Amino acid sequence: MNRFFKLVFNEEMKIYIRKSTWVMYAILAAIIIGSGLISYFFGDLGEEYTGDDWREVLEEENEEYMQDNEEWIQEMDDDNGFVVEMNNSYIAKNNYYLENDIQPKPYDAWEYVLENVFLLSVVSLFTIIVAAGIVAHEFRWGTIKLLLTRPISRAQILLSKYVSVLIFALFTLLFVVLFSWIVGAILFGINGINPSIVIEQNDEFAQVSILSEIMSGYGYKLINLIMMATFAFMISSIFRNSTLAIGTAIFLMFAGNSIVGFFSDHDWAKYILFANTDLKQYANDGSPIIEGMTLGFSITMLVVYYAIFLVLSWVVFTRRDVAGQ
Amino acid sequence: MTESAMELMNVKKTIGSKDIIKGLTFTINKGEVFGLIGPNGAGKTTTIRMMVGLMRLSAGDVRILGKSIKSDFKEAVRQVGVIVENPELYPFMSGWQNLKHFARMIPGITDERIHEVVKLLGMEKPIKEKVGKYSLGMRQRLGIAQALLHAPSVLILDEPTNGLDPAGIREIRTYIRRLAEKEDVAVIISSHLLSEIELMCDRIGIIKNGELIATEFVRGAEEQENVQQVVLEVTPACQAIELLNEKLAIEASAKDGALSFQCEKERIPTIIQTLVQHDMAVYQVGLSNDTLEDKFFDLIGENTIE
Repeated sequence: MNRFFKLVFNEEMKIYIRKSTWVMYAILAAIIIGSGLISYFFGDLGEEYTGDDWREVLEEENEEYMQDNEEWIQEMDDDNGFVVEMNNSYIAKNNYYLENDIQPKPYDAWEYVLENVFLLSVVSLFTIIVAAGIVAHEFRWGTIKLLLTRPISRAQILLSKYVSVLIFALFTLLFVVLFSWIVGAILFGINGINPSIVIEQNDEFAQVSILSEIMSGYGYKLINLIMMATFAFMISSIFRNSTLAIGTAIFLMFAGNSIVGFFSDHDWAKYILFANTDLKQYANDGSPIIEGMTLGFSITMLVVYYAIFLVLSWVVFTRRDVAGQ
Repeated sequence: MTESAMELMNVKKTIGSKDIIKGLTFTINKGEVFGLIGPNGAGKTTTIRMMVGLMRLSAGDVRILGKSIKSDFKEAVRQVGVIVENPELYPFMSGWQNLKHFARMIPGITDERIHEVVKLLGMEKPIKEKVGKYSLGMRQRLGIAQALLHAPSVLILDEPTNGLDPAGIREIRTYIRRLAEKEDVAVIISSHLLSEIELMCDRIGIIKNGELIATEFVRGAEEQENVQQVVLEVTPACQAIELLNEKLAIEASAKDGALSFQCEKERIPTIIQTLVQHDMAVYQVGLSNDTLEDKFFDLIGENTIE
């Protein structure tokens, strides 16, 4: 166990000693600070509700929305339909606050963290880059010959590299969450330790704890991250080519939903990995992309794909003859 | 006294339908420096890769201190330090970080041991610098340091003199001789240049087209001084051959218009005296000591890859 820990330590050292890794963290920090500043200067921070007259403020808002809607409807333009709908949903949300006597809270660090869930796509991208290089680079540098002539089995070396990729993903994720929270706390302040927020669920509003919202938001996205990183890792160990691994993994990450959409008429489309990576489709009695899919089915498919990726990497890596370039 | 450190038993490698290595059998003893010589493409690197488990053996077995590389990989490879082809290390880490990295992969290597190896190779000064800034000679030394960390019983160096200047080659030669003599390490060196490693080896195996076609002991320096290959330019050549055979029992052969034969150095004045007494014109006498090289070329013939 101690040996394995040292192997993982070696891999982490090789990841974090390189400047390219620090550039990744600098990019994430820049995005977090930048989007925080944009919200701070141009966003609606909900400070108008902090006074005792918040009920009047909400009612005034509702009247404005209704007036706005009447004007749009008079114009009778089909394109304006969605503006009307949006206004209606604002009105419904405000009514929910009023009916349940909940004072809306101003925008804070927790909400900023929740909003930054989109950054997991960037974390996925960086994890793919690391996963794609972790085996392929050893071959390119020629150092694979030094690694494989130690009294350690090849399977263990491969596993230490895979675990290191997951640890990198975890560290980067924690960085995004913590740094977003800190930036958010400085710019917007904090509404207590675990404030509740009002969100729309199944066409109605509900009050939920923000921590559980953050956890589930990040959690659902993590599935796709891990699947794509494992895919890149597999390509990297089979073809020893980091460019190929990065290219295919990123292509599939962005084109995945289009691929599913394209083949959605076919019965076998539900067996495509990307039809199953978004487990959120089953949350709150939602309907899945393709009819007949269940949560159990998707989890089975994910496990099967995951196992195939890892077994293929293992078979090829442990049996390969390490010859010249 | 001689104990075998590494044994190759009918080692074969087949890739596709092609036999790359066609059954190698030889033994390397402790404290011996063994040179593996052959033209490019003869199968030297393939053989070395099989010795350390980087490539699978199609048939046969390699035993290191009695442990099979096939069935007992971890135990066998623990006894081996190896550099395959170029000394490739992580260019973005310092020499020290590289050594620490590899030290973590084998239990029982202390910082003191790393310092000891660094000192042995005279690397104290550049050890904190990034390997990317190293010269080839420095990387070669760090490569050897990496291979020596766990005090292996067998050291395998593939083309260690590749790209080194004469001073670098000389330095490496000194380390290798010292390791073999003082630490009883078996050293295996491969090269396609006989002249570069002739001086550091005790024994040389010549490999061609995946077969070991000869093993030769390199004669010690004292022995070499006694019996020498003598080249003698004299006319008339035919009579001179007869004369040497009759009077001095030396069998000479005519080659490129000169006589060539083997004899002790002390006899050369007598030979010249005899020839002059019989009215023969002696133009020049010379010594040639590249008999091993001649043999090498005779054995491998043209440098062709089949």
